[in-house]
Amino acid sequence: MEAKEKLEKLEEMFELDEGTLSEDTLLDDIEEWDSMSKLSLIVLLDDDFGKKVTGEQINGLVKIKDILKLME
Amino acid sequence: MILSEFKKIKISAIVGAVPSNWTSIENFINDDNRETVEKFSNMTGVKGRYNVNDFQTTSDLAFAAARELLEKKNIELESIGAIVYVTQSPDYAVPSTACVLQYRLGLSKECMAFDVNLGCSGYTYGLNIVASLMNSSNIAKALLLAGDTSAKEKSRKIKTKTANAFRMLFGDAGSATLLEKTDEESYIDSVSCTDGSGFKAIIKPFTGYRNPDGKGVSLMNDIDVFNFTISEVPKMLKDYMKLKGLTPDDYDSLVMHQANLFILKQIAKKTKFPMDKVPISIDTFGNTSSASIPISLIKEYGDLNEDRNIKTLMCGFGVGLSWSLISADINIKDIYPLVKNDDYFLDGYENETDL
Repeated sequence: MEAKEKLEKLEEMFELDEGTLSEDTLLDDIEEWDSMSKLSLIVLLDDDFGKKVTGEQINGLVKIKDILKLME
Repeated sequence: MILSEFKKIKISAIVGAVPSNWTSIENFINDDNRETVEKFSNMTGVKGRYNVNDFQTTSDLAFAAARELLEKKNIELESIGAIVYVTQSPDYAVPSTACVLQYRLGLSKECMAFDVNLGCSGYTYGLNIVASLMNSSNIAKALLLAGDTSAKEKSRKIKTKTANAFRMLFGDAGSATLLEKTDEESYIDSVSCTDGSGFKAIIKPFTGYRNPDGKGVSLMNDIDVFNFTISEVPKMLKDYMKLKGLTPDDYDSLVMHQANLFILKQIAKKTKFPMDKVPISIDTFGNTSSASIPISLIKEYGDLNEDRNIKTLMCGFGVGLSWSLISADINIKDIYPLVKNDDYFLDGYENETDL
């Protein structure tokens, strides 16, 4: 999957406008990045990418880039 | 898979009790948090919940439910051979609250009584335990009481970071379930599992003898709990159905512990149950811990009074980590309307300094 498509999936998950996110966006700068969106991310990674992640991995995420890596 | 199978035992009555005081989650909204609270409500499904008064404990709710059950079913008190009380909000650290309930309900001295310290998985675990006790004895009727007043505790002992989410999520409720031996064709199947490596996922570390000088703060690692739930729980349900050659089409209802709506949707999706077969009570009652399965059945079927069997797959999961299922038929007429009760027991103690 293209990086652009992955970003769109994340924007959809965060309910953000298209083009809002870039690889270097800091998660702490996203107002919607909270415990509830973390659960949505776990489901997204599981459903669309077949990836299981731990709480430690989720809490260790800093930039959008880090999420994209998990999607590989 | 370890499977417990009971052929001649049935669930013959379910009663649930809550206090009369219901508060909307909107009460938590202020100028700064409106969006967060609304998002929380959408995701968890909680719109409000019942709260006990200052003097009322879980056992008061369970007692109200049990008394109603014994009256409605016209049960002779001497016929009850065991009472098991599943709770994480007991009246005392010592003794078992089940002993107090045996006394308050006027049950026989021959009645077995003890507490089980389990939460979200407690109802299905409890049914497994009670049916096992009956299966290996001549006990003809037994009671499972289950519930918690987590909301009360959360409002008293606040850990700042998650305090509001905790307080909004949990509700207070108690339940009573009657199990009876029967000559009719009947079955109860049960699977009960544990992963103690996750004991820190939901814990009150400073409440027992390990770390004795604490205030009882609750910790919950929501990501770990969520991860555990969406992997282990669907797996158990699917493995059981596969073993028995069953599919979601064979069931009328998948009755799950009401952790939060988002989790319920994930489990339903992974086990291929349509959401219209999943009773929801978290909207009105919040997460009621070990009472959540009976409360969900009551909300869905309690007012119907139909003489018809439904095939249910019940499933509890959470603190422990611990998870468990029950597959059983229940007659809708044995699921009674919700009881509201604000009574409490006076045990004669007021100030510890007076002792």
